[in-house]
Amino acid sequence: MVSLHSYLILSAILFSIGTIGVLTRRNAIVIFMCIEMMLNAVNLTFIALSKYLGNLDGQIFVFFVMTVAAAEAAVGLALMIAFFKNRESIDVEDLNLMKW
Amino acid sequence: METLFFSIVAAIAILMSILVIRCKNPINSALSLIMTFFCLATLYVMLEAPFMAAIQVIVYAGAIMVLIVFVIMLLNIRTESGRRTQHALFLGAATGLFLLFQTWYFLSRSSLTGAKGAIDSAAIAKVGHTELIGQSLFTEFLLPFEITSILLLAAIVGAVVLAKKKV
Amino acid sequence: MLGAYLPIIVLLVVAACFGLGSVVVSSLVGQKKLSPVKLQPYECGCEPVGSAQERFSIKFYLIAMLFILFDIECVFLYPWAVLFKRLGVFGLIEMGVFVVILFVGYIYVWKKGALEWE
Repeated sequence: MVSLHSYLILSAILFSIGTIGVLTRRNAIVIFMCIEMMLNAVNLTFIALSKYLGNLDGQIFVFFVMTVAAAEAAVGLALMIAFFKNRESIDVEDLNLMKW
Repeated sequence: METLFFSIVAAIAILMSILVIRCKNPINSALSLIMTFFCLATLYVMLEAPFMAAIQVIVYAGAIMVLIVFVIMLLNIRTESGRRTQHALFLGAATGLFLLFQTWYFLSRSSLTGAKGAIDSAAIAKVGHTELIGQSLFTEFLLPFEITSILLLAAIVGAVVLAKKKV
Repeated sequence: MLGAYLPIIVLLVVAACFGLGSVVVSSLVGQKKLSPVKLQPYECGCEPVGSAQERFSIKFYLIAMLFILFDIECVFLYPWAVLFKRLGVFGLIEMGVFVVILFVGYIYVWKKGALEWE
């Protein structure tokens, strides 16, 4: 029987790795993937706690998190394509203009 | 046996997520991330949430990652133009490690309290996981479910407008 | 409980072993006389034309994006389909509202011409 703490620690590790990725990478797509990883780490917490509390509400939340992630992927990547058309780069250091 | 299996899956998940942030080529990062998602789906199965595991594979590994890989190939970015400065690297890593330490500290000091619900392994085995999820989703969470469709509608309109716009 | 998933693990292990095995065996057993022709990417016997990593058209992206959003709709349909009989007319109405709102998006996409391949 795997304890709840193992799952929570694993989720914390994945979340921290995602944070480090967001803060240290420059490629906007890699940053985006790290955000997806952080969302997944939180999903793991939800499902682990949902099992140990004997309550399915956490899993319904995971459902909605996945929906938001899909909507975010569609719009976020469209934004990246629009940005790339303008600047020929998706380096976040180039994202420094309020308008062009 | 179960602990051993958990350790293997967790180790693969952590290794692959480190590869996501270490690989130079975004395609390699994306493939490592798909592997991480599969490991998480395995953990969902171990947590008696097979329906969640299925939609993890369908939505994350199947749809979102396909879109990300498409965009990487569409923009055709092979490698990163340049690294962040040493300063930013150090601060980023320090923040991440601090976050991890903080979580670990609070987890090691606290214990789980509160009332337990009625849904245990026996109930899931008797009624079925998908049925239980649906029961909850279509009665208790009816309004969030309907609002989700508006979110998806906004995402459809937004993405079409952004992608079709001639810049 | 988890024993029911044993066949899947066996399948994964066999698939991984087959993939690894064929690479390892062919590198151990096969001949290693490399020539420029042999090192070319194999394209059904045709001469390779250009690089394999060409830029995709944005049309693929639009289709993939619409696929994701309607894929989410399908994911919501699964638990509804399982519970269809028990939810009855009420379930039909609530799913009807959901689908109609998304159908508005579909009509928008259609009228906007995002489904045209040109």
